[in-house]
This record gives sequence, C-alpha cells and structure tokens, in this order.
Amino acid sequence: MNYADSFPSTLISTCLSMAILLPLISFIVSFIVAEKYSWAVPFLASVLLLMSTVCASVVMFKIWNTDPVALSWHWFNLGSLTFTVGVLVDNISALMLLLVTLISLLVHLYSTGYMAGDSDLRRYFAMLGFFTFAMLGIVVSGDLLLTFIFWELVGFSSYMLIGHWHEKPAAAHAATRAFMFNRFADMGFLIALMILWTDHGTFEISKLTLASPLATTWSTIAAFGILCGVAGKSAQFPFFAWLPRAMEGPTPVSALIHAATMVAAGVFLLARLFFLFTPIALDVVIIIGSITAVAGALAALAQNDIKRILAYSTISQLGLMIMAVGAGSTAAAMLHLFTHGFFKACLFLCAGAVIHALHQVQHQSNTAFDVQDIRNLGGLRKKLPFTFVVCVISSCSLAGLPFSSGFASKEAILDVILGWTGTEFSWRWMVLVSAFAVSFLTVLYIFRMIWLIFFGAEKATRSLHVVEVPPVMRAPMALLASASIWMIVSVDPFDYTGWLYSGLRNGKFFHFNLLAPISAGWVLAAAGVAYYIRDKAMTLPLLRHGFYADEAINRFVEGPILNLSSVTIHADKKWIDGALHFTAYMQMIIAHVIGWMDSALIDGAINGIAWMTKRIGSLTRYLQGGKIQLYIFWAAFTIIIFIIWTLL
Amino acid sequence: MFPISHFIYLGALLFSIGVTIVVVKRNMIVVLLGIELMLNASVLNLVAFNRQHATNIDGHMFGLFVIVIAVCEAAVGLAIIIQVYRYYQTSVPEDVNELRESK
Repeated sequence: MNYADSFPSTLISTCLSMAILLPLISFIVSFIVAEKYSWAVPFLASVLLLMSTVCASVVMFKIWNTDPVALSWHWFNLGSLTFTVGVLVDNISALMLLLVTLISLLVHLYSTGYMAGDSDLRRYFAMLGFFTFAMLGIVVSGDLLLTFIFWELVGFSSYMLIGHWHEKPAAAHAATRAFMFNRFADMGFLIALMILWTDHGTFEISKLTLASPLATTWSTIAAFGILCGVAGKSAQFPFFAWLPRAMEGPTPVSALIHAATMVAAGVFLLARLFFLFTPIALDVVIIIGSITAVAGALAALAQNDIKRILAYSTISQLGLMIMAVGAGSTAAAMLHLFTHGFFKACLFLCAGAVIHALHQVQHQSNTAFDVQDIRNLGGLRKKLPFTFVVCVISSCSLAGLPFSSGFASKEAILDVILGWTGTEFSWRWMVLVSAFAVSFLTVLYIFRMIWLIFFGAEKATRSLHVVEVPPVMRAPMALLASASIWMIVSVDPFDYTGWLYSGLRNGKFFHFNLLAPISAGWVLAAAGVAYYIRDKAMTLPLLRHGFYADEAINRFVEGPILNLSSVTIHADKKWIDGALHFTAYMQMIIAHVIGWMDSALIDGAINGIAWMTKRIGSLTRYLQGGKIQLYIFWAAFTIIIFIIWTLL
Repeated sequence: MFPISHFIYLGALLFSIGVTIVVVKRNMIVVLLGIELMLNASVLNLVAFNRQHATNIDGHMFGLFVIVIAVCEAAVGLAIIIQVYRYYQTSVPEDVNELRESK
C-alpha cells in the first residue's frame, strides 16, 4: 500500500486537527467555567462539537478514496531507541472520524435535555468532550504507542461517565468493574506491543504494514494479545460482562459508548491491525466472535431491563463485526460498525426518551415503579407516538429488515462469512449457522422489546399523563432514525456494495447473488415467529444472568485474586513488615550502642583531656599565683631536694 | 675551743630559721628580719671558715662587706615597705595584688 507523506491540502490538515482538538477544548472549557455559568456549558460544548463535526465531514469528503496519509514526528529517545508519534488517515479513519463526531454531537444535543437539572453538568460535558477526544485520538493515531495511550484514555473517560452518578453504589461499582475489565484485557494489548517492538523495532502502523509478515509463533501470540485487548474494549467473550453493568451510567453515555466511542474502538483497532493476524489467529477471532454473538443474542432474549436488552444486543452485534474481521473482511465489519453506530445510538436515545418521559411523569404524580423494566410498560405507542416511530425504524435496522441500513451491512457480513465457509463441509459451517442464528435471534429479542413497550395493554402507566420529550432530544433521534434507512449505504436497498463499501473494501471479494432474498426471507420468517411467540416470557435464569459471565468472573478470577491478595497481605504484614520491624529494632539498638560509645568514650576522652588541661592550668596558676612567699618556699624546697639528691 | 662543726650547725640553723620566717610570716618587716637572719648565718659561716686559715683575713673582710651591704639592703627594703604601706595601706605582700585578675 502506498502512503502519502503529506496531506493533499492544508485545509485538510487544519480541519483534521480542529476536529480532534475541539472536543479537547470543550473538555477544558467545561471544566474551567465558573459554577455560576454552568448553565452555558451544554450549549458551549454542543457548539464546539458541531464545529468539530463540520471539520470532520470536510476531512471525510476531501480524503475519501485518496491515498492514505501517514505522518510521523520524532517524540523521544530511550537510549538508542527512537519513539515517534504519528498520524495515519485512510478511508477507515475518515469514516470513523465522521461517525464519532456526529454521534457525539447528537449525544451532546440530547444530553442538554436529558441531563437538565443534573447537579454536576460541567463534569458530565467535560468528560463527554474528553471521551470524544480520546476516541478520535485512536482513530487517527498512526503509532501503536500513541494508540495505546488514547486507548487507556477512552477506558478512563468511560469509567468517569459510567460512574457519573457515583453516589449510587451500583454505578460506582459498575464503573470500577468496567475499568478493571478493560485494564485486565489491556494487558494483552501491552504484551502484543512488546512483541511487535521486539520483532519490528517500530510502532508505526504504516511501517508495520510494509514489514514482511512473519508467520512465526510470536506474531500469532501478538495477534492474540491484540485480540485480548479488543475483547476487553469491545465486550467480547470472555470479557462481555462489564457492558450490561455499565448501563448504570446516564443513557446518552450508553448511546455514546455503544455506538461510537468505546466498543467501536476494539473493532476499529482490529480492522486497522488486520494485517498482523495470522490464519490461526483469525480462526480464533471468528470463533470468539461467533460465541459472543450467539451468547449476547440469547441473553438479550431473557432481559427485562430496556437498557440491558440493548447492551446484550450490542455485544451480539459486535460479535458479528468481529466475525466479519475473522472471516477476512474488515470492510464488512466497518460497514456494520458504521450502520450499527446510527441505529444503536438511536435505540439508546429512544430508551432514554421513554425513561426520561416516565421519570418526569413519575415526578409529577408521585408514583414509583421501575421505568426500565419492560414488564411495567406497554401500550405506550399512543402516548409516545414520536418515540414509537423512531424506535421502530431503528429496530427494523437492527433486526435487518429489508430497506434498512442494517439489512445491507448484515448482508455484507453474511456474504463474507459465506465466502469464508467455502463449499467443503467443516467446522466452519458452525460459524455460518451461528451467524444466521444471531440474525434470527436479533429479530426475536428486538420484536419482544418493541412489543412489550409500545403494544398491548398499558400497565403501570395507565392513569398517568405521559408527554413526549422536548424537541432538543427529539431532533437527534429523528436524525439517527433517518440514518438507519438503506440510503446511507447504497442506492439499491438489496445491494450493499455502494459508495461506502467500495471505499472500504480490500482484498478478496466474494458475492453470493441469492443471499439478499434468502436473508430477507429469513428475517421475515423470524419476525413471524416473533409475533407468534410474542406473549411467551423467557425466564431461563441462565440467559437472564447473561450466562453467569459476571458470576464466573467473580468466582474464577475475582475470588482467587482476592484470596491471593489476602495471602499476600498476610505475608506482607507478617514477613515483610516483620523483617522491616526487626531491622528497625536492630538499627535502634545499634544506634543506642553507638550513641553511648559516642557520649561515654569519645566525648569522655575529649572531656578528660579538657579536664586534665584545666587541672594542670589551675595547678600552674596556683604555683605562680602572685604569692611571693610561695615562690620562695618552692625555690627553697627545690634546692633542698636538689641538695639531698646530690649528696645522697 | 669549739670545733668548726658547731659554727656550721649554728649557721645552718640560723639560715633555716631565716628561710622559715621569710616563707611563713605575713608581715613584710618580719620577712625583712628573716632575710637579715639568713645574711647573718652566711656571715657566721664566713668568719668560721676564716678561722681555719688564720694567716689571712679575707673571710673577715667579706663578712664586714656583707654587713654593710645588708645595712643598705635593709634601708632600701624598709623604704620600699614604707612606700608600699603608704600606697596600699598594708604591709602584707599577698594583699599587694593590683596586677592580678580580680576575683
């Protein structure tokens, strides 16, 4: 691949840096604004994000289908090793740039309504800006070390946002858990970085692509390491338990995490570092993807919390994207990431709208029921007609019904997996079956959700006067819903190879002509089944608890770690502290001995000499003390002694 | 006729008494008396030893000379004592301590 070493025009580089830095400015401004003016923060942040989005779209349309640009600058030296920072902008990053800024802008707008009256608006909007900035950093970074830094910053800001209502113990716990899961998984990423540095001596992605691929064990291990980091960030098996818990955060944050900034980072990194994956690693990727996709879809069937259904749905859809990467097509994965970003953000905003509207009415009428539990809801299509329409459009896209963007991108993924499976019968057919099963299950759970919220008889809301959310929240929902139709992918609703896919496509390209009608028929059949079983409740505890992934982590990871740490605490207290105390006591004793020797012997010697000098001085003074007769006495005495001595 | 040893013993006794007076007595005049006593002891020795060589009179002459010197010395000494007494209002040598550090 050829990399240009400068941008085609200064307009593009200016717009690119503006697009990335404006969210950072929004972060700084939101933090330093005085408490008195905190009402201005939502508008200020939204305006900054709007400018960022405009810049990002300029970059997107200027750079689309041109040569990728790779720049790098010298950063620091460590001994003889030189580290660089770099920017790598190609079609994928341009697309992500637009997706991230656009979704973030809409979430900002939505949050101005949703979060109105929150006690800590400044921190909320500051972290939204920082989250966006960190994600944009990953998107344009051309250097793995820099990517890793932004990768961690994304984890940090998600921690801050999930735990925004940190006075709720569940939220604080969920935030810590998300952070811990990510940190744990990032260990793999870090190991991969070390292996890559040892192998190639550079972190620059553009140089890594040019380096000859080494099909050694070490490159496979490096690929596994990256996969581990990706699985943590994108909530893949076995790390997916943090994502449903993260629903404790504000709903717009969930939309941002699920659509653009957090979980997308994993798939994006997988697509960008696709060239590092050896065939064995790719097989593992697709297996992990299919396990996650099926498990997420099954778990979503049994949830009763709106946001948890959507969380498991995201896990399942991310599994599909990972499967596409494993099957060798980053293009299909990125296409689905793009379309999924819009319809999943829209679904979350719809869920937020329902929650917000019901919270408002609960507030006025002093009733209390869990508004997120779909068993309490029902028949809301008459009271919330706008939300109903928007939600149905985006759900159709998620379910992959024809004439939706989801249909096109899912078809791309199925197409790729079909091509990967081949005609010979092998374990690969299992993956194909699981892909179709996920597509089927998706229809079931999303139909169940829509049905329980908007159809049937009203339950807890029967006597309440529910009003729609304000226009500032409805506008982002409408925009996202309109982005969920097929037009965004290509003009022909049954052909996904439009402008987007041709810009992303790389490498092999398999197309099965009969897939579109088969897929459409399959989804419609699923819809029929879903209608038929609409009133059946899924109460399998295994699915309700998400395959006990959380509990398994508790038991098999957290438990041993806690035990280990209590052992180490004990050892620390008993042995290390003991040894330290013993050394300290010994030192004290030695110090006392030395102190005694100092005062008794050395000082004693000095004092003794001084004392003797004083005695001799006073003696001699006594001898010549001005008493004349004493002189004579001594003289006579001496003479007598002398005489006696001479005579004897 | 006395043997010479008697004179020498007497001289030694007188000298010792003189030294003792000089060392022990506080009054300066008595100290001066002690000095005179020591001088007389030496003069006694001179005269006694001269008797061993009776042909010449060197010892006698020396004795007379010493007596003359002693008179002068006593005169100068008494004058000093009187001047000291006038100035210090004391004739005890220990109390004449102007050059000593004050206690």
